[in-house]
Amino acid sequence: MSDAGAAVPAAESGPADLLLPHYVPGSTVALSDDERWPALPAAARAHLDSVLAHPAAPVWRHRVGHRLDPAAVERARTELPTDDWLPAHLDAVRELPAYRGLRGRLHALDDFPLVSRAELAADIGGFVPRDADLSRLVQGSSSGSTGAALRLPDDIEDVARTFWLVHRLLAGLGVDWRPDPRRLALALVVHQRQAFTYVSPVPGFIAEGGDGGAGATGRSADGQTLMARLNLDPRDWPTTDRIAFLRDQDPQLISGNPSSLATLLEPATAAVLNPLAIVSGALHLTPALRAALETRFGVPVLDLYGLHETRPIAWRADDGPFRVLDTRVLVETVDAAGRPAGAARGELVVTAGSNPLLPLARYRTGDHGRLVERDGRPAIADLEGREHVEFVTAGGRAINTVDLTQYLQDAGALAWSLVQRADGSVTARVAGGDPERAARSIRALLAQPVELDRVARPIDLGEGKPRRFLRES
Amino acid sequence: MSDSSGVGAGAGGGDARGSSTLGGPGPLDRWFALRLDETRVWDALAPGPALEVVQTRISSAPQSFLAESISLRALTGDVLAEAPEHVRTTAAAIADGAQRDPASRQGAALALWLWASHELLAPFRPELDVRWAHSSIGALAFRLAPLVEPRRWLADGESREEAARLFLLWSGRTPAGEDAATARARWERRDTIARDAALRELVADEEHRRRVQAALAEKRAAEAAARYSHE
Repeated sequence: MSDAGAAVPAAESGPADLLLPHYVPGSTVALSDDERWPALPAAARAHLDSVLAHPAAPVWRHRVGHRLDPAAVERARTELPTDDWLPAHLDAVRELPAYRGLRGRLHALDDFPLVSRAELAADIGGFVPRDADLSRLVQGSSSGSTGAALRLPDDIEDVARTFWLVHRLLAGLGVDWRPDPRRLALALVVHQRQAFTYVSPVPGFIAEGGDGGAGATGRSADGQTLMARLNLDPRDWPTTDRIAFLRDQDPQLISGNPSSLATLLEPATAAVLNPLAIVSGALHLTPALRAALETRFGVPVLDLYGLHETRPIAWRADDGPFRVLDTRVLVETVDAAGRPAGAARGELVVTAGSNPLLPLARYRTGDHGRLVERDGRPAIADLEGREHVEFVTAGGRAINTVDLTQYLQDAGALAWSLVQRADGSVTARVAGGDPERAARSIRALLAQPVELDRVARPIDLGEGKPRRFLRES
Repeated sequence: MSDSSGVGAGAGGGDARGSSTLGGPGPLDRWFALRLDETRVWDALAPGPALEVVQTRISSAPQSFLAESISLRALTGDVLAEAPEHVRTTAAAIADGAQRDPASRQGAALALWLWASHELLAPFRPELDVRWAHSSIGALAFRLAPLVEPRRWLADGESREEAARLFLLWSGRTPAGEDAATARARWERRDTIARDAALRELVADEEHRRRVQAALAEKRAAEAAARYSHE
């Protein structure tokens, strides 16, 4: 999760006065617009104001910018060099305060201990380099699937660089994404009871020579494009307004988690959208939902795997293994004892050098998968999130939930949440597809009672990161 | 209390954070866990008793205070019976944290002896302010004792001066006849941490951690930056 949205109460609708203090519009604003959007030309500012003032716009709960001056905007456009990056990266990690007690013992990558979310939570300052430029620090928050949110130091240039990474990946898929100030460059969509919503210029994504006075809406003549974070939840933004706003702003790219992307398939909403591509992240994108999005919009769906702690790790544009990015990221797998898992399934452990404020060595993601090769490059097959658990049959045999995923995917389910109780019985909440078929298969595999609860949409499984599999003890 | 002493809200031993997370415990972890602000304390000092008086009292500590069998928790309760609630609570937590480690136990006991000597021998002149009791106990138990054995405070003049100066500092006092600048210069010549590069690095690490925590907590940082994908 990318912000405090994770702190929102569960999915059930509550009284309107449930508004959490930090969702009161403007309550978290601390910067001036000049700090937020340095060197934003007047024409671009007018453009931004026109989007903010759109009659069907949502309540803008936040005012957010990229904070980059022109030199930083340029730097963020370029991927950090990766030639022989690992030795210098490990040097930086060795010098971290958290590693002081291990000095002299950390030679090769293998010597570095595995670190986990708990260690970051206990001593986040110890994982930030002593010489880091803290003026570039902004607060990130990682919810994980369990436990309290972890406050992380994000680097403003690194955050902006993600935009250019997505741009580069889409270019590789043949997506011709050029700045068009008449459209929103990007809509980042969420679906939750309350959320931060904002509009911001996209750093460096500027049409050459402006847009030639494009149109009646007073859009920027200097070519600056904008992005918006939008909440698709009708409790927060009436559907009629959503449709009117999206029709006018016509986002080029739509990025969201699977639950929010599924909302785009509602016919009246889908009818006004013409995306060049769709980007999914944060949660497992099922083949059925990918197919539905691809079919409806006729564009590539990029599935990006990453953690807030590590930044983006891998991607795919089909249902095959995730390709590990060619950025400063290295993926290993380890078994339950922390030993290399080889070709077997294991926990993904990531060494990540994108965020200069949080250089990580051998970070346990809590996610599981198998390391394979795809086109001669490392890739991750059978990726399962932190909810990775085993269910048990009536005879006491452990069943990997990957098998259950297979049944559910074959049945065309868009999303699900399965809970096995202490008595062995299973409750399956499933959105889309033919869940009866999946339930029959699961019943046969586990020889346990399976109670099926069909829900209309993925979002009905809950906001945030609903667990796909849970075993109660 | 915290306004005048620079003492933060942290209680002794109650902070789960270990500074040397990955390399096992470090010698100053418990001191850092008290979250006392070593830079601010210098701005909060009032004139105190003569250094020699404090040193002499350290030398004359009764053996019973140094015995392995001593219960620091009980001793703290007795010596600080008249102290404000939060001072007693924090001091009790420090006592619990120091009890199992011989050096820290003796360091805390010697600090408690200095506070007890007010009644058992004679009041310090000027009198100490009991609202500072816990920070002075924490400093001797967790800042000095892990580095310089309390037995040496008794046997060695320089170590005794270091202990006495540290006690006065964390009691919010300058030694009689010294202004803050003089007291600070003389302290830094005696301070084991200041004279040891590796220990200085530990302190610098800790200051860095606090800067990061403060930067993360700033409202400016909380405003975040625009994002482009979900993670």
